[in-house]
Amino acid sequence: MANVAAAIRFEGVSKRYGGLAALDAVDLEVEPGEIFALLGPNGAGKTTAIGCASGLIQDFEGRIEVGGYDVRKDYRVTRRLVGLVPQELNFDGFFCARDALFFQSGYFGVRPDRAKIEAMLRKFALYEKADTNTRRLSGGMKRRLMVCKALMHDPAVLFLDEPTAGVDVELREDLWKVVRGLRDEGVTIVLTTHYLEEAEQLADRIGVIDGGKILRVQPREELMQELGKRWVELSFSVEVEASVFASLQADRVEQVSGRVLRIEYDPGGGMSEEEHAIGAILDFARSRGLVVVDIRAGRSSLEDIFKGLLARKGGAA
Amino acid sequence: MIILGQSVVSPVITTLLYFLVFGFSLGSRLDEMGGISYMDFLTPGLMMMSLINNSFINSSFSFFLTKVHGSVVDVLASPLSNLQIMAAYTAASLVRGMLTSVIIWGIAAGFGANTLHDPLLTVCFMVLVSCAFSLFGLATAVVSKEFEHVNLVPNFVVVPFTFLGGVFYSISLLPGAWQTVALFNPFLYMVNGIRLGMTGVGDVSIGSCFLVSGVFLAVSFAAAWYLLRSGKNLRS
Repeated sequence: MANVAAAIRFEGVSKRYGGLAALDAVDLEVEPGEIFALLGPNGAGKTTAIGCASGLIQDFEGRIEVGGYDVRKDYRVTRRLVGLVPQELNFDGFFCARDALFFQSGYFGVRPDRAKIEAMLRKFALYEKADTNTRRLSGGMKRRLMVCKALMHDPAVLFLDEPTAGVDVELREDLWKVVRGLRDEGVTIVLTTHYLEEAEQLADRIGVIDGGKILRVQPREELMQELGKRWVELSFSVEVEASVFASLQADRVEQVSGRVLRIEYDPGGGMSEEEHAIGAILDFARSRGLVVVDIRAGRSSLEDIFKGLLARKGGAA
Repeated sequence: MIILGQSVVSPVITTLLYFLVFGFSLGSRLDEMGGISYMDFLTPGLMMMSLINNSFINSSFSFFLTKVHGSVVDVLASPLSNLQIMAAYTAASLVRGMLTSVIIWGIAAGFGANTLHDPLLTVCFMVLVSCAFSLFGLATAVVSKEFEHVNLVPNFVVVPFTFLGGVFYSISLLPGAWQTVALFNPFLYMVNGIRLGMTGVGDVSIGSCFLVSGVFLAVSFAAAWYLLRSGKNLRS
């Protein structure tokens, strides 16, 4: 789809609203062809960052480049490179979905292509509503139309600001397929989302932002490995107190119920090598004469990691 | 069709009512105004009133509704320059304003009005005024935060000042002091500009009409450009 190698670069970008720093000296690079997830709580600065890069916000300090071009000085070039799906649902009460796509092409200097519009309407399951006024579309349809509009000029960079907010599970998974397909075609995608599962499923790299500051940028797997805890939940034949496992070098032992304990451990920590950790825990239980009747294991979710990072920041402050 | 009904048919019907009330009911009791028949006198005034209203409303409400519906981001995130955005909204308003005015002229001709004194001058003047009010409407839409803000201008500026600007009467009928006051109303020059073009009759010179309308165009252009460039209420 895209034929321009595009990347995004923030250099010391700050944006203030009165005394509030929505972005505070942000330095960030998004590599060409990757899916980059920007995670943060409400008011962290995610939408502001996308607004600055896409041209919706112009009075910021610092410099932002898209595809090597300055977003303010070379705005005609950078905005052709960028497709934007904003967070807030929007529609044009004067036009139907088909006409909205027709005009959207024109905004970007692209000659409207009826065949492409038909194909996009079918791809996003909007064909049946193609001639319906956009005001009358459901929330999910409006969201799909917004994605369609953002893609009408074949952008090299796609900003998705909470793209699946308020859409059902089926549609969310359809959109994920589309996003992965675009990435495979070489489109660089920047995603903000409150559905952390979404970032976990889609992102190549994750940036954590809070209070306008980028706390961490890492490949998803690396972030999970470095900060992700593993846990094992053991069911015993008799009731067991958590204190029995006090001498185990685990991060946390939690009493789930009388006979069930949840033990959290750091795979790179002092207890054991990751692949031996569960064996060590079971050996420890046996050495105390305990009989394990069931076992469940897993690792912490991105949500847990995210909360941990914010907690660390809070603790350090 | 819905858009055509709201944009063109509705203002034409409104103006038709003015013709019926002022042109026929009251106009039949007036022999002439300014040396021409009252129907000929009234027609340019009603056309200018419609032109101003429709030019203003088209750009202001079109743009303001995109703010309300959120679709303004489609334009703001596009490579269009501020001047291109201004040109697009002005062109759309010009089409609507001219179309309604021409329909009104056709209706007036049906009622017997004879207003073809200088068509070229008339069209030039109409384009000038329509562009000015299109840009004024766009500037108003950029700064407006509520529907009431957009409505303020047509309700409290355009309608009263065009009514007082000689749409229905010549200011020569006013007492001396009020004639002087009327000269400070810029809408007077717009109404008289089109009337001079269509009938050759007016209360002021055609030069002053172009001058006042040109200044209004320049101010509206500067305001729209500055507000779009500043991003106030748009890009912040």
